[in-house]
Amino acid sequence: MSHPGSAPTRAAGAGFIEPRVLMRIRNLELRARVAVEGFWSGLHRSPYHGFSVEFTEYRPYAAGDDPRYLDWRVLGRSDRYFIKKFEDETNLRCHLLVDLSRSMSFGTAGYTKLEYAATLAATLAFLLQPQGDAVGLVTFDEQVRDVVPARHRPGHLRRLLIALEQAAGGRATNLAAPLRRIVELVRKRGLIVLISDLLAPREPLERSLTPLAASGHEVIVFQVLDPAEQNLGLSQPAMFRDLESGQVQFIDPAAARAEYQRRLEAHGSAIRALCQRLGIGLHRLGTERPLETALFDFLRERQQRGKLPRHAAGRARHPGPAIASTV
Amino acid sequence: MSFLAPLFLLGTLAVAAPVVFHLLRRSTREQTVFSSLMFLRPTPPRFTRRRRFEHVALLILRCLVLILVAAGFARPFFPQAPSSAPAAASASRLAVLLDASASMRRGPLWTSACAQAMATLRGASPGDQAAVFVFDRQVRPLLSFAEWESLPAGDRLGAARARLEAASPGWSDTRLGDALAAVAEAVADSPDTNAFRQRRIILLTDRQQGSRLEALAAFDWPSGIELTLPPLPIPSTANASLEWVADARADSTDPAAPSPVRLRIRNEPGSGREAFQVGWQGDNPGAWLGEPVEVRVPAGQSRTVFLGPPPPPGAHRVALRGDEEPFDNTLFVLSPEPVERRVLYLGREAASDSRRPRYFLERALQETARHKAILRALGPEADAAAVSGEADAAALIVVADPLPAERARALRQRISGGQTVVVLLQETAAGATLAALLGRERIDLEEVPCAPFVLWSEIDFEHPLFAPFADPRFSDFTRIHFWKYRRLDERAVPGARVIARYDGGDPAWIEAAVGQGRLLVLTSGWHPSDSQLALSSKFVPMLYSLLDLAAGGGNEPLQFQVGDALPMPQSARPGSETWSVRTPSGRVQPWPAGAAQWAETGEPGIYEIASGPIRRRLAVNLAPAESRTTAIPAGEIERLGPPAPAAAKAAGSVVRQVAAEAAEVEGRQKVWRWLLAAALATVVFESWWAGRAVRRSLVEGS
Repeated sequence: MSHPGSAPTRAAGAGFIEPRVLMRIRNLELRARVAVEGFWSGLHRSPYHGFSVEFTEYRPYAAGDDPRYLDWRVLGRSDRYFIKKFEDETNLRCHLLVDLSRSMSFGTAGYTKLEYAATLAATLAFLLQPQGDAVGLVTFDEQVRDVVPARHRPGHLRRLLIALEQAAGGRATNLAAPLRRIVELVRKRGLIVLISDLLAPREPLERSLTPLAASGHEVIVFQVLDPAEQNLGLSQPAMFRDLESGQVQFIDPAAARAEYQRRLEAHGSAIRALCQRLGIGLHRLGTERPLETALFDFLRERQQRGKLPRHAAGRARHPGPAIASTV
Repeated sequence: MSFLAPLFLLGTLAVAAPVVFHLLRRSTREQTVFSSLMFLRPTPPRFTRRRRFEHVALLILRCLVLILVAAGFARPFFPQAPSSAPAAASASRLAVLLDASASMRRGPLWTSACAQAMATLRGASPGDQAAVFVFDRQVRPLLSFAEWESLPAGDRLGAARARLEAASPGWSDTRLGDALAAVAEAVADSPDTNAFRQRRIILLTDRQQGSRLEALAAFDWPSGIELTLPPLPIPSTANASLEWVADARADSTDPAAPSPVRLRIRNEPGSGREAFQVGWQGDNPGAWLGEPVEVRVPAGQSRTVFLGPPPPPGAHRVALRGDEEPFDNTLFVLSPEPVERRVLYLGREAASDSRRPRYFLERALQETARHKAILRALGPEADAAAVSGEADAAALIVVADPLPAERARALRQRISGGQTVVVLLQETAAGATLAALLGRERIDLEEVPCAPFVLWSEIDFEHPLFAPFADPRFSDFTRIHFWKYRRLDERAVPGARVIARYDGGDPAWIEAAVGQGRLLVLTSGWHPSDSQLALSSKFVPMLYSLLDLAAGGGNEPLQFQVGDALPMPQSARPGSETWSVRTPSGRVQPWPAGAAQWAETGEPGIYEIASGPIRRRLAVNLAPAESRTTAIPAGEIERLGPPAPAAAKAAGSVVRQVAAEAAEVEGRQKVWRWLLAAALATVVFESWWAGRAVRRSLVEGS
């Protein structure tokens, strides 16, 4: 299902669609479908074949369990008592948190970080929805802009897409208030995917992410960065205007590049350390990278989580293995 | 090329600013948005490599603007070759102006001024031109520029010293403004304007407040003339002065009334004394006549006092004691005194005949504050000796009836000698007497009865007889009716002046000069059978006018200031009398022939003007302004025009001269205007060029 006006081409190395090409598709839904289809087609070469997002769980019957939930077929076949969990309980409830702050409207690759983030969120939604998972959406800048509760019903995806097509606004990236609000809204534990550039001081980020992780949710963070942000790839000295604060400074990129990269790396290291401590999966995504790689990161993260028992996963947040950035 | 203000050329250093700005690699207009500056720090401006100027043409234009503006402010000019010979331009033209007014009589002022003047003249080089002037009311050259030039260089100082020793301060008041203006013109008035490098007036004055500087305000001070005021030892002594205000007796008609003299006593600011004595003094200064008046006047204020009663006759000197400066402590006061005027009436009627003129004349001539008239009437029967004796003493002779021919001839001789005679034509027979008095063979009179009456018209109010009535309040003679008169053909009296006419045109009053005297003819009588004149309010004043006319004097001013011109008495007949003036020092000087004034009042005192039996005394005093001896600041004189005196003349004068010439040349050329115009044009071109460059960069950027 490719757009007739654009001929999405596969990336030479991995066979993925170039984001530059993908972003030419104006329709977000179409863009997400193309990305998901590309992902499925590439999955044949994936080492994670046959893996599902969530699976039904059985556990031995214990005294006090409701006999209505006994799996009678298993009892009849093996004469063993197993309790089958409800689908409601077993289906994934995923909330996509998309940053709409002004810094997300920056982009040098022909599209902005926000367009990339929205496509990523839509792709994830398209990925999860057919599996019966409930997908919700929260958009925010310095406050919550839009909330779409996690549902699994027809037409829900369209609501998500409409909410995702909002333009960037607000002034600053302030995760504290939106995440606190999400903790209040999402009572049931589930998956929370945060898509942001995380261009905010480390302390507010820590104050924001800690309650989210502490509330029992499984959290995956995609840090979306433009290539120019990663290496300050601007050639001419000029007056640089901060998109969020409006501050203007004279910057000579050639002179400031080394210092910038050092400070950006320090910031990234601090966030990585924070996420590792909180048991949060962090993936830095350059907007020049194909979306499929993000999906792979997502699924690999899920797989690693899935290998761990639920109760162990919670314990393993602190001493758990380091989650390497894919960047 | 030279510059009038070369320090402004330092402004060209400002071209460093655009050079530095163009070297800075900083495109302030280009803005790039970036997601967050939290990892960035401002980059300090960095110089590009050498010879990497951006927008070289704009840089050149901007530097050019700064250079043009700086050069314009430096006032450039193209020097010209000197026009005058250097030797001549080194000479000076100096004028020493000495104050010789009365206030310079104080202390050592005059000797100090003379010493200063000599010191200045000694400092003059042989090539210099110098002159010495003195001034009070007027400027007088003691040694003119021409005399200085004509004298050998070795004799100049001696001549100046001799002139200065001969001069002394007078008694006139100071008119410094006029004097400075006159001398400035004299200094500026030289054939070759470039012959002198310096023109200077050295003013030696006590700078008293009464110096009358106002003339300087309207005077356009010539350029290039400096004024120097060497300091003089101005005494800071207490000074008070006397000023005559008005004579309270002048308006009084009661001779017995007290007759005080009103005086103003002014004490100068800064005076340390307040108590003064004022009183009459005789010819012996220092001895009071009567008790002096004690007056207290605070410093800087004035008081008016009445001094009286008058001292014994002849005293006319009021003195003030108590201050330290005697030069203005004497005031000469002349009060009008009742003068005995004898009137000889030649008529035959009885004194008690109320129908005849004598009756009214006797009653009209009463004694007043100024006149003491004595009427003596003689009839035709009186012998010639008696008539002659009375006529000698009489100021006025009234002829009421025809005279014998011989007596008429004698009277004519008296008129020729300067006497005044009034003839009343009461009958036509008086024509013979009139003809004899005028030296005519015959004059015919015609009786003119008037029905019902005639009036006077065409009255000559400029004649002394009618001058008191010249005011419109008193000039109404229409209520005086004349019932009859005698017609006199004025052509029969050649040279006669008709003073008044009847409304029919016939003469009513005629004045004719006979020798040195005058003959006045009334062609009617003032008694009631002829007219209402004797019964009118005009009669008595007219009689006193006749007396004043005959004897001289009247309501003429008696007080003058030193330097004022004394007027000829109203009763005088210019050209027909010989007048002389006796000055206070006793010298008798003739009155210049044909002159209406005598202007040589050089000292205060009593002046006496005399002609035959007529004597008239006038008081001449120091001008009150001359007593205001408080010194005004030297800056007050400079404020009114003369440039400030230069302190160090010798060293700086050449430099100043060169600077002045340079300023003059620069003022003519005005090169700065062209430079500033070029700078403006460059700014316009630079703006256009810069705008074009910006547009180009925008197009390239897009």
